[in-house]
Amino acid sequence: MTLMETTPQNVAPDQSPAPAPAGTAPVIVTEGLTVGYKLHRERKRLTALRDISLSVNRGEFVVLVGPSGCGKTTYINAISGLVDPWEGTIEVNGRQVTGPGPDRAMVFQDYALMPWRTVESNIRMPFEFQNLQVSKDEIDERVRRYIELVDLTGFEKSYPYELSGGMKQRVGIARALVSEPDILLADEPFAAIDAMTREAMQSELERFVAKTHQTVIFITHSIDEAITLADRVVVISFRPGQIKEIVDVNLPRPRFDYDVKMLPEYVELRDHIWRLVKDEALQSARGEKR
Amino acid sequence: MSTIEDSEGVATVDATDSNRIEDTEFTAGEAWTLYGSWAVTVINLTIFFCIWELFAWSGAINPLFLPAASSMFSALWEGMTTTAPPGAVISGSIRDHLLYSLTNLSIGLGIACVIGIPAGLLMGGNKYVETVLSPYVWALASLPRIALVPLFILFLGFTVKMQITIIVLSAVFPIIINAWAGVKTTEKSLLAAAKVFGASRRELYFKVVLPYTLPFIIAGIQQGIGRGLIGVVIAEIFGGSKGLGYLITRSADTFNSPLMYAVLFLLVVVSLSLINITRWLEAYVAPWRRIDML
Ligand SMILES: Nc1ncnc2c1ncn2[C@@H]1O[C@H](COP(=O)(O)OP(=O)(O)OP(=O)(O)O)[C@@H](O)[C@H]1O
Ligand SMILES: [Mg+2]
Repeated sequence: MTLMETTPQNVAPDQSPAPAPAGTAPVIVTEGLTVGYKLHRERKRLTALRDISLSVNRGEFVVLVGPSGCGKTTYINAISGLVDPWEGTIEVNGRQVTGPGPDRAMVFQDYALMPWRTVESNIRMPFEFQNLQVSKDEIDERVRRYIELVDLTGFEKSYPYELSGGMKQRVGIARALVSEPDILLADEPFAAIDAMTREAMQSELERFVAKTHQTVIFITHSIDEAITLADRVVVISFRPGQIKEIVDVNLPRPRFDYDVKMLPEYVELRDHIWRLVKDEALQSARGEKR
Repeated sequence: MSTIEDSEGVATVDATDSNRIEDTEFTAGEAWTLYGSWAVTVINLTIFFCIWELFAWSGAINPLFLPAASSMFSALWEGMTTTAPPGAVISGSIRDHLLYSLTNLSIGLGIACVIGIPAGLLMGGNKYVETVLSPYVWALASLPRIALVPLFILFLGFTVKMQITIIVLSAVFPIIINAWAGVKTTEKSLLAAAKVFGASRRELYFKVVLPYTLPFIIAGIQQGIGRGLIGVVIAEIFGGSKGLGYLITRSADTFNSPLMYAVLFLLVVVSLSLINITRWLEAYVAPWRRIDML
């Protein structure tokens, strides 16, 4: 449970090099990325994503939107090193991705909490598996701090089955943030959280990222969430997922200090992205392009 | 949402959640859901044995086939409180036979676990082991074990070894198959999460697959107990001069039906208590699978 138990060979394959200086250095570069799945039963392979070229700069907040099943989760799975690309390359901090590494953390769409671990123990997991240079006291302190951040103080000893959906999702968020990774991959992290809490968490995340200079790839189904959080919104088309358009969001930050939704630019952006997504969603609903 | 550093401009809902968890008292309704089924069971069984008693007294069935419940219980009481005099072929004592059967059952179950758990885990974890072993496992698991008894008597004679072999063979397959299924059904997203947060292959097995599989293994042991008990009785009925199975045949041969019923009753009690122990164990190690809490 403690750092003591972790042995040097536990170091994940992709130990990140010293972080590049902040600025416009690209941190995540995908070139011609094509990923898919083998459907063994039908002897077919399904292309989930085709020819994705995207480069994300340090400290940038990129939001992916697109209809259900277009390959958003697949994209961040590829960056995290969970699935291997069929074609193309993925580089993180200038190094080819060959597997997961402590420079990248992920919030899972289906929470993926260990049911036999308490909230606290789930959040402690990254320290247990990764050989990070963090002292035991510092770990305790961080775990406590991040439990507080996601407003779960008092539930440290609860098991996931005793929590609501939104609470589970918050545990997943704390687990991804606690090791303070360079890159945060968040798969619809606020989907199960009510509108009010959600807004509070969005503002919290914006402030947090501004402070830590983390690079974020964030998936959402909410266009409002996309615009309020993103530096760039990447609209992905329906199967096979391709980049349909990349929309820059140049609204002033911090966006929760004023009513960003009232800005004419906001309304324009919202309308624009909404149209892009609607076309795709309609195709998705009709089941075209299969 | 409480904040890391309290700065202004953020809707800070300061909900300290400790006051959301507080002590409560049992309501009558909750007490009923917890203990009510026990009360019902006690009343239910009392009525059952009363009807049995009255039915036996009415003389509708020869007491040789259906003794009174009371005489079964007195045979049981006597059998559990006395030991057989040395050299007696059949006395009223049950205690020694019970102890003998239980000892064999625990040895057999122990061996079945020692073989079955690693075998099942390996089959789930390694494709080659799985491909090689699975035909044998399925073949032996589907073969009625009683068909093997004459073979083992031939090989090992009427010995304890023969009996334990039969118990092991009866109990080991549910254990193997459950452990195997547990490994196979380990949730992919849990494995993915552990990988993302840096788990090595070893850690994936020991910190994800194994805890996930534990309740499956316990369910396997639970089934193994049921099968093992059948194995015990079969082995003792076929051959041997001790144990509850032997006692059943002997008491039938000597027309001692209260004793026979007492042994049957005892078998039910033993089986139920062992299964309840594993149920409790399962709920204890895997509270997240306690679906009956709903
Ligand atoms: N493990 C898998 N095996 C086979 N096919 C898969 C697998 N995971 C995803 N797919 C397929 O790949 C496509 C993209 O899936 P993905 O999960 O990336 O979509 P998504 O954009 O995240 O959708 P959603 O918004 O519903 O979460 C889907 O059509 C799905 O059928
Ligand atoms: Mg998804």
